Amino acid sequence: MNWGHEDRPHLGLRATFPGQLGFFGRMRVVLSSMWRKASGRYSLIVLAIWILVSLVSRFWTPVPIWVTDGYRIWQAPSRAHLLGTDGTGADILSWLMAGSATNLVISLLAVLLSGVLGLLLVMAMVSRRSGVSQTVVVLVDALISLPTVLLALILAVPLGPSIAVVVVACGFGYGLNLARIVRPQALLAAESDYVRSARHSGVGSFRIFCTHLVPNVIPVLCVQLSMSAGTSVLAEAGLTYLGVGVPSGLPSWGHSLTTSVKFINVFPLTVLWPGLVVTMVVVALNLFGDALRDAIDPVTNPRLRAAVAAAGRSTLQSVRQETSACLEASGHASEGDNHVAEY
Amino acid sequence: MARFLMRRLVLFILALIGISLLIFLALRILPGDVAAIMAGLDAPPERVDRLRRQMGLDRSYPRQYLDWIGDFLQGDLGRSILTNRSIASQVGVRAQITFPLILLGLAVALLLGIPLGCAAALARSPRMQSFSHMVAIVGGSVPALWSGLLLIMLFAKGSGLIGLLPSQGFPALGWAQPGQALAALILPALSTGIIVGAGIMRYTRSLLGDMLSSGYVDMGMACGMTRTQAALRIGLRLASPQLVSVIGLTMAEMITGVMVSENLFALPGLGSMLITDVGNRDLPAVQSELLLLAAFFLFLGLLVDVIHRLIDPRFRGAARQEVVAL
Amino acid sequence: MNADRHGTHAHDSVTAADTDVAQEPGPSTDPELNARIRPMKSGGNTLPWKLLSLLLALALAISLWTGHRGVAGQAEGGSVADTVTVGLKLAPTNLDIRNQSGTALDQLLIGNVYQGLVSRDSRNRVRPGLAKSWNISEDGLVYTFHLHEGIRFSNGHALRAQDVVDSIRGLMAGHYQGSEMLEGFQGVEATDPLTVRLTLSRPYQDLLWQLSGRAGLVFDRRAHYDMKTQAVGSGPYMLASFRPNDSVTLKADPHYWGSDKPKTPTIVIRYLNDDNAAVNALRSGDVQVLAPVTENLASPFRKSPDFQVKAGDDTDKYVLAMNGKGGATSDPRVRQAIRHAIDHRQLIASRGGSDRALGGPIPSLDPGYQDLTRLYPHDPEQARRLLAQAGYGPEHRLKLRLTYANTYGSELGDQLRSQLRQVGIDLDVRVVEFSVWLQDVHANKDYDLSLVDHGESHDFHQWANPGYYYNYDNRQVQELYRQAMATTSADDSDRLLAQAAWIVSKDAAADWLFNYRVTTAWRKGLEGFPVDLNQSLMPLSDVIYRRG
Repeated sequence: MNWGHEDRPHLGLRATFPGQLGFFGRMRVVLSSMWRKASGRYSLIVLAIWILVSLVSRFWTPVPIWVTDGYRIWQAPSRAHLLGTDGTGADILSWLMAGSATNLVISLLAVLLSGVLGLLLVMAMVSRRSGVSQTVVVLVDALISLPTVLLALILAVPLGPSIAVVVVACGFGYGLNLARIVRPQALLAAESDYVRSARHSGVGSFRIFCTHLVPNVIPVLCVQLSMSAGTSVLAEAGLTYLGVGVPSGLPSWGHSLTTSVKFINVFPLTVLWPGLVVTMVVVALNLFGDALRDAIDPVTNPRLRAAVAAAGRSTLQSVRQETSACLEASGHASEGDNHVAEY
Repeated sequence: MARFLMRRLVLFILALIGISLLIFLALRILPGDVAAIMAGLDAPPERVDRLRRQMGLDRSYPRQYLDWIGDFLQGDLGRSILTNRSIASQVGVRAQITFPLILLGLAVALLLGIPLGCAAALARSPRMQSFSHMVAIVGGSVPALWSGLLLIMLFAKGSGLIGLLPSQGFPALGWAQPGQALAALILPALSTGIIVGAGIMRYTRSLLGDMLSSGYVDMGMACGMTRTQAALRIGLRLASPQLVSVIGLTMAEMITGVMVSENLFALPGLGSMLITDVGNRDLPAVQSELLLLAAFFLFLGLLVDVIHRLIDPRFRGAARQEVVAL
Repeated sequence: MNADRHGTHAHDSVTAADTDVAQEPGPSTDPELNARIRPMKSGGNTLPWKLLSLLLALALAISLWTGHRGVAGQAEGGSVADTVTVGLKLAPTNLDIRNQSGTALDQLLIGNVYQGLVSRDSRNRVRPGLAKSWNISEDGLVYTFHLHEGIRFSNGHALRAQDVVDSIRGLMAGHYQGSEMLEGFQGVEATDPLTVRLTLSRPYQDLLWQLSGRAGLVFDRRAHYDMKTQAVGSGPYMLASFRPNDSVTLKADPHYWGSDKPKTPTIVIRYLNDDNAAVNALRSGDVQVLAPVTENLASPFRKSPDFQVKAGDDTDKYVLAMNGKGGATSDPRVRQAIRHAIDHRQLIASRGGSDRALGGPIPSLDPGYQDLTRLYPHDPEQARRLLAQAGYGPEHRLKLRLTYANTYGSELGDQLRSQLRQVGIDLDVRVVEFSVWLQDVHANKDYDLSLVDHGESHDFHQWANPGYYYNYDNRQVQELYRQAMATTSADDSDRLLAQAAWIVSKDAAADWLFNYRVTTAWRKGLEGFPVDLNQSLMPLSDVIYRRG
């Protein structure tokens, strides 16, 4: 597109849609809003450390995790082993670091699975065909009371302990939960005038779902997915302890917790660290969802509203200029036009 | 209501059939068979074959499935291959530990969750509010395994800081020694109850918070109640249908914590039996136990739905349109 | 009708209630919208850090306290207890000693409830049992057993030679546990009510020892009961109750025929699968004796004046099997390299130090034992050299898979991976369920390395059986074993077995990580509990507990 005005680079860089703040700009405002709250700051710090440590542990840990030393088992924290050693003389800190990568993968996959499953179910639930929607609603109600651990046990019988068991069991359970929680909001949005008009103008239902319903449920989605991530960390610990989670030899927080449990009577200090790490991360994930919801929703975040408004003003201005320029140049159609019309 | 019940029942049965198939197939895919385990490492093949025939493992799969379901529906859960005891009686014995444990855990959760949740909702100072919020969040983030361990280190008789309660095992005579039996369940119930209580506290707090900002409580206050009275007498009652739903689902999710607790506190309950039987490849036992548990939880879900409908005034009366959001 | 569920509202309203009432003037002119606006809280009034640090401090305090405390005993009145509770680890899933494998049943039932024609002592030697004496013919083919007089089963039936005959015939006909060990069995008959004659088709050196185990057990031919849940024998104890995976109660038989009358009327056996549960049970007085106690957990008891801790000899061999027909492990140099690479002393140290190094297939309590630990000393350099000769090096690393059952924990696998990696072997450790191990390794022999605790005694025949999962086929060893069993002289047999064991070890057919020794801990005042071999042989009639 041939833009010719000096304030357009600003628009082109930032905006996905004219009239709206761009994705990165929005993220910057959202993150800084979260940062201003203590709980948001805490969760951002902890999650950033989690991700960073996961990445680092792929290449470096203080002691390689395969190293064991039978003469130095259950050692108290020292300079060589900051958190001490476990029953094989392996470095606890290194195992925790390596475990964070496993747990990150599990949480991400579980969240992804539950998100996809949940949204698919929601799509069916707000379907115009009442047979489909009501059946799915009741089906979800019927299945939601199945505990995660039961599903994990059923899966673990043929699969053996594996990451897949944790991911599928968590993803399935949380997906159903998500669908139930998101449904009222999605219904509300589905009844809105926007959707009605979109439908009347012949927009497909999948497109309506993506463009109108999903954005409306994003705040609830944030909270739920983030909480699911936290619960999946707890579930991993529990399932691994029960022997149906992460297989032994693969570092994970549940694995660290489980190995230290065996010798809690004699070496109680070692059980502290994994439990503390899990608690800190789960707290962070729970707070993260709330903070993100508050920060991402323009209704609740005045700073975002202000930023959007500012961006909107400049956009409007530029659009106005653009329109006049277009008029002058007599008939350049711009991609932005239909978006402006829509918002 | 009748149509709702019908539809719900049909789906309950369909879900149960689906899960029974899933369980049956999952247990047949796995390698290894129980006859070989029972016969031991150096067993001659004829001993393994004889055991396999005795156990009926040589029947075809559809035949095994139908036999199993047929017996199951008649209340015969089969016999454990390894112990030769009727699974129903074994489940009965084990359930005497697991269900009291679930109920005690739930009691702990409710005793902690509802009063604290109410206090949090009624608190006026923002400091108190955010503090209670944090208590709920941190309480809900502790792994059950870890809280159990901390409790053992604190209160276990023999090894704990303050040796108060037994932390290992269940009295040999079971509930014939009610005092000891109850004492054996206190720490496990605490460790499962605390995390669940934190969740209930959050729900109570938000439900009551909603009620406080609704007109009902204002109306109560206009009638001369204090804010606390109005919140507890009107708000809590209005919030109870949702609380029932939440508690029902919570009970279902508690089973994970219960299983961990049973293992950690060496209680011979259903959870530890299931884990052992899975390890022993005791197929009839595992499949019947899994199906029984699944049926129990599906039924719990059904029950919660029905109770919810019965006690929620919005479902009574003529206006039956859907209540979308508050 | 719509089936709405109001759990959903609970979640919606979390969003509404978690935030404070609006404090700043809203940006909108619509008061309703303004009322919904939740201001961003400024920092400082939430306390995640404080709470977490509080939690940390609390946890730290507890752990430091419990970690540095001794074990306190509980004072009780001074008298002889009429009930002793024994804590064991592995529970029998049922009591069918003829069909169910596993030493848990031998430990519980043999010598306590059931009795054999002959018995063993704590050094694994054959001693009289139901038979007070026996003669062996010159050619080693005919064994004549003379039974004690007046033996009774606990149900009152008298035990006669015909019971012995029926038991052994039933064993052979039913292929029950132990039947495969009666090599060359030809027949058994009762020559009079107190004499049993057993004939062999060829001499068999190990016959008496095998008869001291399951093969020689004598059952009441007239009693009918469910062997999975009940047990009726001639031993000093009667089975009073059996709760699978939980506990067994034994009551002394008041009419017991033997001279080793039980000293404690009731013995409760509790199966404590969880090591911590077991230790706590001993500490709190729920059990008076615990066997085994994990060595690493025993240190508080060692320091306490109220307890005694002792490691006993046993025949458990932790065997790192190397598939003789495996892709890489069929090369003897690879197997030798692995043996040189493993630091057995370190493995033993990490387990608490009570286990004993074992260089070959025969442990110290079995015939044919000699110290073979010096054949393959820990020598990583030599291991690297051997690997290089076999064609492996830094650019072509040897990759092996270790498959073992999850009952042994992940520690050994982790340690072996670490030790082998130092000489250039990448170990892929696969910890599986026991049944999977049985299928993949034991039945299909699809493995490189495998780890099993072979707890059986007198089990050298495994190495003379080319069909066993080791895939070890050495004619010389098979011939030596055959001769050792065929000779009628125990000394010759010992010598031949030792020779065969030396060859097996020299061939690096496997590595023997260590000889596991069971640590037993008991409360002061308890006496008579067996320490040696107590995982397969646990006579309880001498157990007595004097409180005080």
